[in-house]
Amino acid sequence: MTTSAVPNRFLDPAILAEVSSMELVAKTVVDGFVAGLHRSPDFGFSQEFAEYRAYTPGDDLRHVDWNVFARTERAYLKRYRGETNTAIHVLLDTSASMGFGAGAVKKVSYAKFLASAIVYLAHVQRDSASLIVFHEELANFVPPSARPGQLMRLLHAIDRAELGKKTNYEQPLFELQQFLKRRGITVLISDFFDKPEAIIRTVEPLRFRGNEVILFHLLDPQEIEPALGEAPLLIDMETGEALETSPDYARSEYRPKMAAHIQDLRQRAEAAGLDYFLLRTDRPLDGALREYFSVRQGRM
Amino acid sequence: MGFLAPWFLVGALAVALPLWLHLLRQYKRTPQPFSSLMFFERRMQSSVKHRRLRYLVLLALRLALLLLLALAFAQPFVNRQSKTAGRRTLHVIAVDRSFSMRAGDHMRRAKEQASRAIDALPATALGEVLGVDAHVESLTQAGLQQAALKTAVNAIQANDRASSFGEFVRALRYLAQTSGMRLDVDFFSDMQQSSMPGDFHELQTGPEVALRLHCIGREGSNWAVENVLAPAEVDAAAPTRVTATIAGWNTPAASRRVALRLDGRMLAEKEVAVPANGRAPVEFTGFEVPYGWHRGEIRIEPDDGLPQDDAFGFAIEHAEARKVLLLYASRNRAGSLYYRTALETGTHGTLTVQAAPVEDASLRDFSRFAFVVLSDPGELDSGLADALCSYVEKGGGVLIALGPNTARTGRIPLSKEQFSEQREKQAAGYVDKAHPALAAAGQFENVQFSETASFTPKADARVLAKFADDSPLLVEERAGEGRKLIFASTIDNSTNDFVLHPAFVPFIAQTARYLARMEDKSSSAVVGTPVALRRRSNQGSADVIGPDGKHELTLSEASRALSFNLDRSGFYEIIQADGQRILLSAHADRRESDLRPVSAETLELWRNTGDTSGRNETPGVQIEERPWSLWRWILGVALAAALIESVFASRYLREERQTV
Repeated sequence: MTTSAVPNRFLDPAILAEVSSMELVAKTVVDGFVAGLHRSPDFGFSQEFAEYRAYTPGDDLRHVDWNVFARTERAYLKRYRGETNTAIHVLLDTSASMGFGAGAVKKVSYAKFLASAIVYLAHVQRDSASLIVFHEELANFVPPSARPGQLMRLLHAIDRAELGKKTNYEQPLFELQQFLKRRGITVLISDFFDKPEAIIRTVEPLRFRGNEVILFHLLDPQEIEPALGEAPLLIDMETGEALETSPDYARSEYRPKMAAHIQDLRQRAEAAGLDYFLLRTDRPLDGALREYFSVRQGRM
Repeated sequence: MGFLAPWFLVGALAVALPLWLHLLRQYKRTPQPFSSLMFFERRMQSSVKHRRLRYLVLLALRLALLLLLALAFAQPFVNRQSKTAGRRTLHVIAVDRSFSMRAGDHMRRAKEQASRAIDALPATALGEVLGVDAHVESLTQAGLQQAALKTAVNAIQANDRASSFGEFVRALRYLAQTSGMRLDVDFFSDMQQSSMPGDFHELQTGPEVALRLHCIGREGSNWAVENVLAPAEVDAAAPTRVTATIAGWNTPAASRRVALRLDGRMLAEKEVAVPANGRAPVEFTGFEVPYGWHRGEIRIEPDDGLPQDDAFGFAIEHAEARKVLLLYASRNRAGSLYYRTALETGTHGTLTVQAAPVEDASLRDFSRFAFVVLSDPGELDSGLADALCSYVEKGGGVLIALGPNTARTGRIPLSKEQFSEQREKQAAGYVDKAHPALAAAGQFENVQFSETASFTPKADARVLAKFADDSPLLVEERAGEGRKLIFASTIDNSTNDFVLHPAFVPFIAQTARYLARMEDKSSSAVVGTPVALRRRSNQGSADVIGPDGKHELTLSEASRALSFNLDRSGFYEIIQADGQRILLSAHADRRESDLRPVSAETLELWRNTGDTSGRNETPGVQIEERPWSLWRWILGVALAAALIESVFASRYLREERQTV
């Protein structure tokens, strides 16, 4: 894993891994992230007025500012950043595969940093936040709340999260749907080692109630471009299955398959209206957040 | 390209070791946890694939290192052409001066031709003159003065030595090697067939020698007294007999008159018919030889082209009888009786016995006796034993007969070895008839020994005869320069019946001759033969008076020289360091009498063994092929390979540790 190409102002995940307090990690990440934005610290997921845009055919008439139309006889669309508190639901995959890490930071650690940063960000925005830790079954659930002490409960739950066995997306999402009473943002952090159509088919129902769903696809660089030693005998971390393969196969066949998997998942997510973002554990977390929100901002 | 030590190339097989380490090393799989195998497929790597070359660079370096080491030890070389200053040419004028060159005008013609060859040399030519016989002598320094060369050639005289062409070629090779010059050799000789070496390979002169052979000899005929068999010592009792062989080479059948002279006085003359190109014996008997040394000669008449080989000298001595001291135990006189009779009979009176009881022996100087016999003497007093030991150490001889008297002491006289008496009947077994002490003693058939001495010979002793049960009967022990024989029985009839058998007298006579060193005497010798002047323990002065009556030794040689080489024909009077006087006749090697030359074809083959390209008078720039050794360079490359290998190996090792 290399970090030499990353600007110094971003936080090295390896350094974060040495910080024992999840709160401190979240605060460090978010503060760094916010400092890099040069914008209002109130920027977040809540909806507020952002700008006017000229109406173009096909736009939703509900968004037309009729007061402006009355004064200027021109139709403008009123665009919002958010003005009301919303609910942030973080789904954290702690299956055994998330324990993989060829470098200093395992995927599950990186996922914990990310989850901590998100709930801390929600706390700053005074949004309610919830957490579901899952693997093949529901491991932990912190209901949504905006009351004082919620942040500590969330961070504590994130910190205590332990690795399980296999991955089962249906069970946690079923549980989550029981609490989705109003629109919110669902953040799913996983390595998504499953068939893309199955993942999307499972996750897609969350989108139907107006929820915004963000998929953080967390992968170790070794999983994208593995460099295996001589005569490797690979052990599946989830199933324990052993497989003898060759370095040549890892170079010539695995990488295209993994790239196709990522591309397939990205396309299917976008087609389903899900936000998809690939995170490599060798990239700084705040930098990754910045890039994601930049993309997200451009899309709004 | 060649190799000086090609067997070291076998060391290249050591490359199998790194190959084994890299290719055949046991394949080990390393378990490696991975998040998910959903994108992996099973790929079985074949064993061959597993054994693929690992660390190819490292392997290549190791193989190269071993191969280079093996190559360096094999000492490869390549022939490189190099421009060098032309080697100077040394003109060698070699003249045969062996005995055969005395024939006719051979030497005169050889000198004339050699002088003409010197005249033909360029003024700036470097020349040297060699005299060739059994050895090669440089008669001049290598120089430019032709007058000096001609003087040396004119001074050459034929001698009595035989010539050896093999020795001549060896000397030429040595001269070419040491001088660093190319040799241009003119050899003037009668080219005798008998001077050729047994193996033609010895005549190869090498590329640095250009040889021109000038044959002086002709197909001349020659008669010679080839050989004379005459006793070196005679006695009054036995008739004196002299046998000569008259030989002719390339001669027709002819009658030759053969004369026997003693001290210049004609004793007998015979006419003998010599067959064509053959030999005829002639024998002279019945003449008396007065007391003392005499110079005999067999001569054939008339003379021929090589008169020096028409006479053959021999020395002959009629000496007074030498005394043998026999010491016996006083109670046993019979031994002396039997021994005296047998000895004086077997040696025709040249040896007489002086017997004395060992108890009465007051003698301490035994040097005037031919040898000493201890006939079952019993115990010797220490003074007598020491004197006898000293006598033997200085070259004396002693015969020890063991019997019941000596058995009581349990020790062999003059020795610290023990022995025991056996009272079982024994017959004689093995007899070493090749030994001079038993050459004419027979096989001791039917001899019965009732009492024998049983002992274990020393490690350096030689068992000359054995009993039937393989125990020693007669043993020779070396003691200093003397001779000591131990007989495991008595020399009378008290413990055996040997004295009653015909083998007894020859046995006593032969062992007496051996102990008295009578068989060492010779009447003549070939020129070049060394004659012993002293034993190492002798401190006295020796003297040699040559054929011309002059003393041959310097004062230093007289007191120190161990031997003297007879270097010319004639009679030599030799006084050895121990005072013994010998007269010896030296004669030329009769192979020199065969004047038949080598065939022209053989001479041409000999000439072609050297440089046949012609003369190269002017030194200039020449292109030579010289071997250029490569082992230093290869060793340097091997060292570099070793350094690079260590760098690569440490890097790979570090990588492996990091992987682990």
